Amino acid sequence: MGMLRPFKGLSEAGVLGMNTRNADIIMALNPRSKFPLVDNKVATKELAALHNIPTPALYGVIMKHGDIKNFHSITESRDSFVVKPARGSGGSGIVLVKERQGDTLITQAGKSISTADLIYHITDILSGIFSLEGHDDSVIIEALIHPDDVFNSVAYRGVPDIRVVVYRGVPIMAMVRLPTAASDGKANLHGGAIGAGIDLKTGLTANAVHRSAIVSHHPDTGNPVSGIEVPYWEKILLMAARSLEMTGLGYVGADMVLDRDRGPLLLELNARPGLAIQVANRAGLLGRIRQVDTASGDIFATPESRVDWARQTIR
Amino acid sequence: MKRPALTAALALIAISLFIVAYRIVSLGYPLTPAKPDYVWTFRFDGVLHGTAKDSLLLLSLPSEQHGQIILEEGIESGSMSSNLLKEYDNRIAVWSGRPGPEGEYISYKASVLLQPTGTHTTVVPPRASYPYGITNGEISLIEGLMAPWRALNFSARLQVVLNLAKKYDFGGPQGNVDFLSLRDALRKYDDPTRLLVLLAAVNIPARTVEGLDLVEGVVGKTFSWVEVWTGQGWGHIDPERMEIVSSKTGFLALSAGGMSAVRTSAGELSAKRFELTRNVMSRWRVFFERTSRSARILDQWSLFRIPPEFQQTFRILLLVPLGALLIALLRNFVGFQTFGVFMPVLMALAFRNTGLFYGLAMFAAIVLIGYGARRGLNRMRLLLIPRMSVLVTLVIFCFIILALVGNRFGVRQFMAVGLLPFVILTMTIERFFVIVEEHGMRTAMETTLGSAAVSVITYLIIQWEVLQITFFVYPELLLFVMGLQILAGRYTGYRLSELIRFRSFRDGT
Repeated sequence: MGMLRPFKGLSEAGVLGMNTRNADIIMALNPRSKFPLVDNKVATKELAALHNIPTPALYGVIMKHGDIKNFHSITESRDSFVVKPARGSGGSGIVLVKERQGDTLITQAGKSISTADLIYHITDILSGIFSLEGHDDSVIIEALIHPDDVFNSVAYRGVPDIRVVVYRGVPIMAMVRLPTAASDGKANLHGGAIGAGIDLKTGLTANAVHRSAIVSHHPDTGNPVSGIEVPYWEKILLMAARSLEMTGLGYVGADMVLDRDRGPLLLELNARPGLAIQVANRAGLLGRIRQVDTASGDIFATPESRVDWARQTIR
Repeated sequence: MKRPALTAALALIAISLFIVAYRIVSLGYPLTPAKPDYVWTFRFDGVLHGTAKDSLLLLSLPSEQHGQIILEEGIESGSMSSNLLKEYDNRIAVWSGRPGPEGEYISYKASVLLQPTGTHTTVVPPRASYPYGITNGEISLIEGLMAPWRALNFSARLQVVLNLAKKYDFGGPQGNVDFLSLRDALRKYDDPTRLLVLLAAVNIPARTVEGLDLVEGVVGKTFSWVEVWTGQGWGHIDPERMEIVSSKTGFLALSAGGMSAVRTSAGELSAKRFELTRNVMSRWRVFFERTSRSARILDQWSLFRIPPEFQQTFRILLLVPLGALLIALLRNFVGFQTFGVFMPVLMALAFRNTGLFYGLAMFAAIVLIGYGARRGLNRMRLLLIPRMSVLVTLVIFCFIILALVGNRFGVRQFMAVGLLPFVILTMTIERFFVIVEEHGMRTAMETTLGSAAVSVITYLIIQWEVLQITFFVYPELLLFVMGLQILAGRYTGYRLSELIRFRSFRDGT
């Protein structure tokens, strides 16, 4: 029994481990047949539109090499836009164009590329260069996000994104991922971004985790990461909660960004959300999952009832 | 969800154990199949002299009736002719003809495997009988004297006889036996005959057996001992202590039933010698021999029946699931990172050709070179399939260079890469690159070390001959492994690595 002692701390804290997540939660609640809805960002966008969930404005989709000629008509009237692979992972293959100078395009990072180069990049995406399995891909051209100012003091370049983990349609845990110099402006925890837990009830940021250590200040800006009130909090939770009606997946990580003009926008859904969010929140997912499982049936009726219940009950 | 998995796993384990138990209990398979066995080489030499036209030499040979399996045998007869005949339980070689003027050198040689005790099928229980040459008068005298004992049960009768033969001490409450007359009646027989007569008088089947002590060395003649029918088989009576010992482990029986092991007629044998040598027998051969002679269904469907050139493959294949189970455990219980499930197994298989040291060094070198090349390829932005083909070509090119270098400097291992590993190496390079890109060099190195460690452990497992032979003898153990794999698949507890990952939760928040 003494051997199991170290595990007891984890289980008492309600920490969700990789094995339980895979076998008891993902396999039980996320049918394989629904994965394509979230793996392909075009499909996710279409579904979101059906459910009145705002996403970055879609300018156009290039499905095959023959459609590349449409690129000009799609981007003609835009000064800024984003080109990304529909099945890309880890942010690879994404080009953020922030302005246009004649035939030259300036990217978010300040580099300039010619339209011809960008079209060559689009043919690469279509051929599946950024799809690890080598499948043919399609290209999404959508609006560039202008991030809300709320996280300006704690984000190094890049766009912070908000991750909400949704269990059976109930938002159970949330965090905001803040880019750092080390993460190269990407909101990717593996890459060195900071994850700050968000209190479900108040929408206030709390602890943050940086490379598995607890931090209170942003390593680049030096500003405190806790105590920031996330705007549109109720709306963010509602958008996340609707992912159940949208996809039928019972366990989802919803990734959202805050646009200065449009408010929260759904970026993508993840059918295998990671476990690091627990460290950022200093709270276990499993404990909250059990809370949901013991809730009475009527709280599951609508996204609104689920969000209300979560904000009042989950601690 | 949990129940069916548990049921299936336990059922598989139970089936596997049942078949193993059946083989052990019913077919007499050994509990520890990997224990080495010995094969005895029996050799008889002699020179037969004789002037008659039809000299004869009869030699009793090892026989399956004596619980001996003859793997091979050979007879040398010079100018005489030889043949084999059977006489009751005995096999007899007969040399006949006219020996040369200087005598005829004759010899017999056999490789003998002693059947494990309890497995040889017993024939109809023999009947008790008196040795040849005992008159009816003597029989009735002795039976009369021993009449009080004849009513005892078998083991009591046997014990009385053994006590009698030991010290003429009749002991016990049988006061109405006339010991002095009995002693007089028995006095004229030699020791073995006396024992046979006593046993026959209390209706216990017995026989004399002639043979050799089962020890390495050369002896000039055989000796005889008495065996008694114990109901299950023949037991050897130790003449010194008058106890029954198992006859198969200590003696090589040649002739049973009172016949001499060597007999001549119209001739004379000189320079007679019996030689016994013991050799360790390959465990594989032992099983091959036992199954090839068996009519039991499980023996007939044994892997030992497939041609030897294919067996080698199956010895290894049978252990691969064990390697896969190990990887599952290391990943899901410990939290090892590996490049997929099969890469470590395939690497372990490749190490069989190259050895561990060279195998690991070659893998590391080629993955490093491949990673450099893959970075270069990334700038060229090649499509998946052409990109992988470039890597395959690179890997094979590395093999060629290694082979040439190995040949020039006499390092055989550099040439022994075989066909298999080029696929794994190519995939490893690609996976390594992807992990570096997505999770950083640190994770990639951890994954590489994890894979290397797992493949080394897997290699040690599949090379372990004890396990190889155990699975080869009991292939149903695969079901057992499958049961464990299913159980491992239902382990939803924490991984050891998560103790570190979530350590902030352990100090109690």
